[in-house]
Amino acid sequence: MVTRINIGPVHPSTHGVLRLVVDIDGDTVVKLEPHIGFLHRGVEKLVETRMYMQSPPYMEKLDYVAPMSYDEAYVATVEKAMGVEVKERAMWIRTMLLELQRIASHLLWLGTMANDVGQFFTVFMWTFADRDVVLRLLEEASGARMFYVNMRIGGLIRDLPPGFEERAEEVMDHVEKRVKKYEDFLEASPLFMERMKGVGVMDREKAIELGVTGPVLRGSGVDYDVRKNNTYYVYEKLNFKPQLRSDGDCFARYKVRMMEIRESIRLVRDALAGMPDGDALGMPIKLILPSAKNRMVSVSRELPRGECLMYMIADPQRPYRLSIRAPTFINLAAMSEISKGCRTADIFAISGSLDLVMGDVDR
Amino acid sequence: MTWIGELVSIASFVSSYLNLTGTLATAVDALVYAIAISILIVAFDYVFGWVERKTIAKIQGRHGPTFAGKYGILQNLADFVKLLSKEHVLPKRADRLMFLSTIPIMLALTIFLILLLPFSPTLLESNVGLGLLVIFVLLSFMPLIIFANGFGSGNKFATISAQRSVVMLLSYEVPLIFVIATVGLLAGGYNLVNLINAQSQWWFVILMPIGFFVFFVAMLAELERPPFDIREADNELIAGWLTDVSAPYYTLALFLDYSRMFLGSLLIAILFFGGWSGPILPPFVWLLLKVFIISFFIMIVRASMVRMRIDRLLRFGWLWLLPLSLINLILTYLVFIR
Repeated sequence: MVTRINIGPVHPSTHGVLRLVVDIDGDTVVKLEPHIGFLHRGVEKLVETRMYMQSPPYMEKLDYVAPMSYDEAYVATVEKAMGVEVKERAMWIRTMLLELQRIASHLLWLGTMANDVGQFFTVFMWTFADRDVVLRLLEEASGARMFYVNMRIGGLIRDLPPGFEERAEEVMDHVEKRVKKYEDFLEASPLFMERMKGVGVMDREKAIELGVTGPVLRGSGVDYDVRKNNTYYVYEKLNFKPQLRSDGDCFARYKVRMMEIRESIRLVRDALAGMPDGDALGMPIKLILPSAKNRMVSVSRELPRGECLMYMIADPQRPYRLSIRAPTFINLAAMSEISKGCRTADIFAISGSLDLVMGDVDR
Repeated sequence: MTWIGELVSIASFVSSYLNLTGTLATAVDALVYAIAISILIVAFDYVFGWVERKTIAKIQGRHGPTFAGKYGILQNLADFVKLLSKEHVLPKRADRLMFLSTIPIMLALTIFLILLLPFSPTLLESNVGLGLLVIFVLLSFMPLIIFANGFGSGNKFATISAQRSVVMLLSYEVPLIFVIATVGLLAGGYNLVNLINAQSQWWFVILMPIGFFVFFVAMLAELERPPFDIREADNELIAGWLTDVSAPYYTLALFLDYSRMFLGSLLIAILFFGGWSGPILPPFVWLLLKVFIISFFIMIVRASMVRMRIDRLLRFGWLWLLPLSLINLILTYLVFIR
């Protein structure tokens, strides 16, 4: 007999306000249908009524786990529309900050993922403490702890404070040690492994067909990373390598993210080592008068959750239209496909491994 | 150190003070004993509720409760008062009798089972020949009562939880019975006092470590402690069979949770760690000390394990626990009996 259960929008492990309508036959999922839109704020429309540099705070609230990444993607779109070159030092700092943001985001994901498979908040609390260390570093660089708004046209709101390099090195050593500890702690547990391995399998063809991006795509063995394939800033100089796993199950997605934290640590170290001197400050907000020369622009960025594409039709005063391809929106669409035939408990392992942020899905 | 033994045998003290004899004296003794043990259970629940919060907080790098009282010792009292002051909501679809009666029945059953256990050579109410069997027969009713509750609440999550409860019963009950049979074999009977006396030389945990492992795992499943909190799985089923249970009954459910932990730790201590036996300290204190250490271990397991999936538990029960319990039975027979 098929039973229909309604999970969410108020439920302990739906990461916000996701609603899943699930048909289960015994303990097996027959059909899963995500219902979204509970956190829709109409940001794309709001942007049309604001001047260009009034919008970054809205952008940051799209993905509240990795706000700086979205901020940067938007500012890069505006820069492209204006035809402004980013200063050399600002490019290096931006690269480093984006990778720090990626580490913070992945650490939060790890905690919630462990919770979703039934870890009683232990890993969650640990990763939150470590994420805080990284956030403190970001606070030093930008002046805010969570919603930074530190990108300006052509550069940043401020340069790095003195002594930042040493502290960043310390934090990176700390995070590296902790990531090793998490891996040892979780992978030593056969219970964790059997909850993750072979669950929610998405093979290579299916992943491409469904259009998923980011760690979810790389977990299925597709070598695609915007940082590599459509490179921006200084990723080329830092010799960046995308992290791949070919199994396509929850464990592969977990492992890809863990390896990405390591890769990001390496990138931050390299960026700190190769950082050129000079000026990193962007233009003051008042001076902006975008030329309407490049009317239609699009910028693609690798966010912690996948590829974000910002498509903008620019007017001199404000954007005529901004369309955002949100990574988790597409990744969530894959969920109903890959959770067919899995167990009821696996729904949450799968939703955890997709790393959903409902602000990003609903926009 | 005999004075503690005298102090805790207040049961006979009251009846002798009132100059009672015969059946009346027995009844008064039993009542006084029941009240004393109930106070002990409530004290354990309270203290352990606090210890668990603090321990898990320590493991997770938090502080745990700090505001209410010194080191937050009054936090549980505050929670208790808050829960009792909340509104009681009966879901429309719920079967009134089944939904409301089950949690009090389970609590009463748990307290009754604890009353059957011996706390020290002088502090015991019943000393029947088949004590151990009686306890496990009654204990295996628990999942069925949970099933009734979950089914009666009319909530789909609670219903799934109720079904899981029965599946769990299938997976761990058979190995558990084999281990109890082995314990009875080794002790030469199911009398709990004889069982403890039989461990005066070697604790059963040393004589049959495999049996202890199986029993401990099955007990974790019986007590709904992680990694076997499949019925209550809060990330999946919100709160399982407790999803629609509101404040006053939820308070009882919390009491039930810790009382069951007390019962489980007591059983482990009596069956495998020699019960009250130990040097210098009085027997009653030894037993409580062992219970404390076992409960503490169960807490650490809670903070460090990932929840098992229900189909995996069934697999684990039949492919690992059952063969292990049989091997334990055969080994014990070959080594110690023959």
